[in-house]
Amino acid sequence: MIPVFWLDLRRSRSLILWVGLVAVLYAGVMVAFYPSVLANAEEFDRMVEIYPKELLAAFGITDGGISDPGTYVNSYIFQFLWPVVASVAAIALATRPAADATSGFLDLPLSSRLPRLDYLAVTIGVQVVSLAMLSALTVAAIVAVDLLIEPDFDTGRIALAGLHLFAMAIAIAGATTALAVALLDRGRAAGLMAGILMIMYLLNVVAGLAPEFGDLGRLSVFYYFDLQPVIDDGVFPAGESLLYLVVAVAGWVSAAAIFRRRDLAT
Amino acid sequence: MTSVIQADGLTKSYGSRRGIVDVDLAVLEGEVFGFLGPNGAGKTTTIRVLLGFLRPTSGRATILGQDCWREAPRAHALLAYVSAEPAYLGHLTAGEQLDYMARLRGLPRGAWRSAAERLELDPTVAVRKLSRGNRQKVGVVQAFMGDEPLLIMDEPTSGLDPLMQREFLAMVAEVRAAGRTVFLSSHNLQEVERACSRVGIIREGRLVDVTTVRDLQASHWRSVNLVLQSPAPETLFDLPNVQVVSASARDAHLMVQGDVNPLLRRLATIDVADVAISTLDVEDIFLRLYEGDREAGDGSGPPGSDGHRPSGGNVEGERNGPGEELAGRGRERAR
Repeated sequence: MIPVFWLDLRRSRSLILWVGLVAVLYAGVMVAFYPSVLANAEEFDRMVEIYPKELLAAFGITDGGISDPGTYVNSYIFQFLWPVVASVAAIALATRPAADATSGFLDLPLSSRLPRLDYLAVTIGVQVVSLAMLSALTVAAIVAVDLLIEPDFDTGRIALAGLHLFAMAIAIAGATTALAVALLDRGRAAGLMAGILMIMYLLNVVAGLAPEFGDLGRLSVFYYFDLQPVIDDGVFPAGESLLYLVVAVAGWVSAAAIFRRRDLAT
Repeated sequence: MTSVIQADGLTKSYGSRRGIVDVDLAVLEGEVFGFLGPNGAGKTTTIRVLLGFLRPTSGRATILGQDCWREAPRAHALLAYVSAEPAYLGHLTAGEQLDYMARLRGLPRGAWRSAAERLELDPTVAVRKLSRGNRQKVGVVQAFMGDEPLLIMDEPTSGLDPLMQREFLAMVAEVRAAGRTVFLSSHNLQEVERACSRVGIIREGRLVDVTTVRDLQASHWRSVNLVLQSPAPETLFDLPNVQVVSASARDAHLMVQGDVNPLLRRLATIDVADVAISTLDVEDIFLRLYEGDREAGDGSGPPGSDGHRPSGGNVEGERNGPGEELAGRGRERAR
């Protein structure tokens, strides 16, 4: 298992590097910008009011002034950045077994003494490590830049938020893994999951704007992604994180059940 | 003698599509078993079922007693496998790729070096920069780097140049001499003739024959094109295993079944300007062995005489037997 793990992790280097760079740069720049936001809070709030609330809701900006740390970090950093970062990284990592099956590379480890489930467990392990690294990089960028300039954010609360970032990412990864091994086609699995996530995003926006569709939002992975209470009050969204964890584990267990018995036809 | 591979009634269907049907097979310890068949006949499906990549629809296969589906990892510990088109990670060097496979198989790092040297594979080059032949060498090297009792090879020499093919055959011979078993799927009849003791022939998913190479050689046809210095005597080609496809004053295109020596002895009595003997490809042999029989009642000539026609043979207009049409149809279908 160990050679497969290291090789798979090595294959994830570029993904972690480039997606991580995007996350670090975006989060870092936004944190560096925060003192200016604080100094010009009234002007910023007036500017934000110009935009239609539907547009703001689409980007997760629903309540609170921009100078509020919880609103700023949640809406302008996490809500903007993390759905894209988590989706791209989780889909790329979780569809790898399908890509390897199509290319024939999967034949190499699976013609050795390595059982199928061990192989899948290794790829899941790499998903977990890679997504944890991306979560940690994002949190580290926020904390580092915040400490370098005027410290405005509670480091412990940002770290707690990082746990929720990770939980959301593995939920997407778990579901995508199940799709990927069921279809054994990276393009179809990635396209399908991307489509599902976009529909979920819209569902969440519609649910936020129209109370009559409020319950529909519960079907969206993004409904449970609100980090303002963590940043402002230090209240960790344990229920939401647990739900993400359940989805992730259910996805991986389903993937294992499918992968164990399915044909590996290329 | 122990059966290394044992398949009983092995069937794999993909919904309504045929995969393999009722394949019974026993590959014995220490033999090199050739597995012949045209494209789409079911060779790769059979191999993938043996490797536990595909679940049999019915029937059962074992490798040294280990069930190929239920006990696949145990079976895999007993074999080395190379696929027809091995896929590697382009950014790894050939050496890194081979080390990865070595570690998966419990072999030490660098276990591949002697095989790589024999096949003149540069392990420092990234796989994406390797030619198709060199990529194929990586697969062949990884198959030969261990000492597992069974080697399963799916068209391992496609893309290798003739010198490397010869080296490959030498390596197969050494493996056989060491008492290990080789299951060699191939299109290349000459390769199978040189390497194998027995062959199984699969066609349209069914194992239609398991025979010795000697019997296969005896039954298969060769195409002979002759240019003579002077007109040939009328009875020159009157031999029981020779059929004249076309003949003019100084040119002749013959089909010879089995032993060519009687014909060569006849040719030694006349002045021959040029002679070219070629082996038919596997598909032509299948058509001859299995469909040709069906057409025999029509009195047709030997089918598939265009299989490997040497240059200069101008027989197109003269091939008019029903067997010829059959050959063409069969080839289209097989491909």
